[in-house]
Amino acid sequence: MSGTDDRIVRTIACGAGFAGDRTDPAVKLAESGQVDTIVLECLAERTLVPGLRARRRDPGSGADSRIERRLTPILQSPASSKCRIISNFGAANPVSGAQRIERLAKDLGRSGMRIAAAIGDDVRHLADRIAWDGSIEGDLLGAHAYLGTNGIVEAVENQADIIVTGRTADSALFAGDLLPYLDGSEDAFAGAIAVGHLLECSGQLTGGNFEAPGVPPLGSSDLANLGYPIARVFEDGTAEITVVDGSPALINRLTCTLQLLYEVHDPSAYITPDLTVDFSGVSIEEIGPSRVRVSGARAADRPARLKVSGFVDRPGAISDVEIAFAGRGALDRARRAADVLRLRLAHLPEQDLRIDLVGLNSVLGAASRAINSEPPEVRVHVSAKFDDAGDAQLAEDEVYALTLSGPAGGCGVRSEQRPRLEVVNGYIDRELVKPSVEWSNIP
Amino acid sequence: MEQHPMKVGDIACGRSGDKADTLDLTVVAVGQDEYARLAEFLTVDRVQAELNRVMPGTVQRYALPGLLALKFVIQNALPGGVYASLHAGLHWQKAAIYLLLDMDMET
Repeated sequence: MSGTDDRIVRTIACGAGFAGDRTDPAVKLAESGQVDTIVLECLAERTLVPGLRARRRDPGSGADSRIERRLTPILQSPASSKCRIISNFGAANPVSGAQRIERLAKDLGRSGMRIAAAIGDDVRHLADRIAWDGSIEGDLLGAHAYLGTNGIVEAVENQADIIVTGRTADSALFAGDLLPYLDGSEDAFAGAIAVGHLLECSGQLTGGNFEAPGVPPLGSSDLANLGYPIARVFEDGTAEITVVDGSPALINRLTCTLQLLYEVHDPSAYITPDLTVDFSGVSIEEIGPSRVRVSGARAADRPARLKVSGFVDRPGAISDVEIAFAGRGALDRARRAADVLRLRLAHLPEQDLRIDLVGLNSVLGAASRAINSEPPEVRVHVSAKFDDAGDAQLAEDEVYALTLSGPAGGCGVRSEQRPRLEVVNGYIDRELVKPSVEWSNIP
Repeated sequence: MEQHPMKVGDIACGRSGDKADTLDLTVVAVGQDEYARLAEFLTVDRVQAELNRVMPGTVQRYALPGLLALKFVIQNALPGGVYASLHAGLHWQKAAIYLLLDMDMET
């Protein structure tokens, strides 16, 4: 193993990059014996919503519905007892998540575990003290501030085996584990945040969602078994990024640079709850096959306010419907079907209706490249916004009507309705937010 | 084989990201010379003209010579956020990077 460098103070891995991510990579990481901590990043901007809806029905619920499915294979593996697990799969209710993990661990016969819930992100009760970027008119389902490392560090210092959080900055899930092992400098903290930001999207760092000129892309078998990233971190916050020995992966300057800058706005001021970090001087060196060294993140500032995500259910619904045309003249028939729908739905406001041809222009719209051959099949896609949820059925009915009263051969209709949920950003003074930790201990 | 004009994607890779209604696009050059060409070609005006074909918003550009990367951030490009979009399927904006990678570079 290449990680025998005794200057490495901590080895941390990402075992999941979103709520629905694969479950087996984390098991492989646990069983490798090469990792101290596995972070499961399971909460996107909007994936809090199912938890918020569940908690509204039952105040004792609200954590990620996948906790048991995700943790069972990890906890069943004896090797996992040597790994700390940190996850934001507490979603809208970390305490409920911790209680479920306690039950699961008991059922699996795991003893002596310390489970910490890092809480304090729920700021809905402070909604009128939040500076909102947009309207929160409608039903404010929830408001959650992005917490930093505080609760996680407290849990780590008290030897937590599993740490469950709600809305916490993704990079803080990693940095919170690393901080107690670093040299205490602000730049080491910045380095830990850079490590967290690099690792947080799992396979996106190790060759997933990646193509570059002159670089042979990973094949389907490698992508199906993609190794998830690990970082071997030095006391000064610099790190080597790699995968468990033998795992298929592609890690190089390009994959790391893309991920370093992913969803960052000003790269010299990456804002996290703990620290604003300057990534502009980061250096990414290739030091071996799928092995890079990352250094040079610098601490810039500490934000006075924390970011808040507000989740607003606007009245009404969005309807998504599709109908297919195949065979000779499919494109012409699909275009005429789209025109029929424009006439039939002409009473809707222009900005509330969108009709596309899937396979031609449904993703990049008017900027799609021109087609110069006859496609074997085309789908017509309608999306429409309705102020009244009851009216949303209308779009589906109009599409179905095409099977009798539209161009020939309309088929393959698919339809769904979804709420008009919007995420509204806000900012709150950090003094108003009180992170804390609750414990569940399994004897 | 038919010659095609050089495209951004012939000398760079890229990725789209988003936070609420803000879109961000990262382009990373395959080498130092290619970075210099991209930095000259991908001006704010050119990128904005290309993106405004399908989305509103004003482009901010950040040049990162040490990383051979350019970063473009477009505020208000995704009104209401990803989930409120009327595109055919969620997360269409993950393809927005191809608007840049498919751009013809002047010779």
